[in-house]
Amino acid sequence: MHYGSLLLDSIGFFDSLPLAKLEVGHHFYWHIGNKTVHGQVFINTWIVIGLLLIASIAATRNIQRIPSGIQNLMEYALEYVRDLTKAQIGEKEYRPWVPFVGTLFLFIFVANWSGALVPWKLFEIPEGELAAPTNDINTTVALALLVSLAYFFAGFRKKGLGYFAKYIEPTPVLLPIAILEDFTKPLSLSFRLFGNILADELVVAVLVLLVPLFIPLPVMMLGLFTSAIQALVFATLAAAYIHEALEGHGEEEAH
Amino acid sequence: MFDFDLTLPLMMAQFVALVYVMNIVFYKPLTKVITDREDYVRSNTTGAKEQLDQANKLAEQYEQELADTRRQSQSTIASAQEEAQQIAQQEIAEVQKQIQAELQQAQQELEQQKQSAFQTLEGQVNTLSNQILDKLLV
Repeated sequence: MHYGSLLLDSIGFFDSLPLAKLEVGHHFYWHIGNKTVHGQVFINTWIVIGLLLIASIAATRNIQRIPSGIQNLMEYALEYVRDLTKAQIGEKEYRPWVPFVGTLFLFIFVANWSGALVPWKLFEIPEGELAAPTNDINTTVALALLVSLAYFFAGFRKKGLGYFAKYIEPTPVLLPIAILEDFTKPLSLSFRLFGNILADELVVAVLVLLVPLFIPLPVMMLGLFTSAIQALVFATLAAAYIHEALEGHGEEEAH
Repeated sequence: MFDFDLTLPLMMAQFVALVYVMNIVFYKPLTKVITDREDYVRSNTTGAKEQLDQANKLAEQYEQELADTRRQSQSTIASAQEEAQQIAQQEIAEVQKQIQAELQQAQQELEQQKQSAFQTLEGQVNTLSNQILDKLLV
């Protein structure tokens, strides 16, 4: 798992550059009982959560009818995620899902951008390095599993056990594929996010190693763009899966 | 890269908690203020629309009144003009009558004077002829 640092250790010359050292697979372990957790992921997650909560509280502390400043910004964010959810789930049932889908988007977006914008390397931790929480597979799998739970919950709450009818709905022949879908959905969700963010940080790091300063800037801009797009894709797909669970084939034909 | 450990369940729990807290501090209050504002704007718009309707109705009424008044004033002017014309004609006729009467009177007087003059002349002719006769006969 340490090939990243091995690769770069072989180019020992670049070790003298303080900002440009790659460490993939190194983790800052915390021990809880006989289990371990990735400390650097949690530190960054708390920073991201703190940012979100501070922005929210600052926006809602003194609510005005005519919004200004931070309230305006957060209202814009809220309307953005609300429209996103509404576009996927539909006018009728989107309301209870706005907090979940919206928080997915905001959390991933802020996490990705924190990784792309903040020079975490400046903060020393004993092992590993601080980076976007979303470049750890644990974070993305956790989010993807929550999406799976959410759409199962949505389906069961709407239709009860009738939710299983969708597995054999057009024809029972497709049953294995329908079951397989439930596995591929969280898998593709988590790996898409994880791969994009990790790849972006690696590309930037490698470019910084090879040609410092100005050459990596376009790639960094591209990284910002990718980060935003990935947050949007994750939230949109989550909402789309929930919509699929709520609708089902039978109802769609009845339209 | 792919070492899963307790990070995963803890992250799930943490995210659920984040959704819960964000729902309280972010989604609920801001959604409420947005819907409140929409209601406020909608009610204000309907109120404004009503007022506009009222204003339009008033303007229409005013214009109608203005037209009525204009028509009335025009008819008043017309009747006044007619009256004035009548009065003028009457007066002219009266004056003409008077003038004619005066003219007649003057003519009559002239005639009388002519007659009396003729009479005196006739008398004088008589005396003159008598005198001439006397002179001739003498």
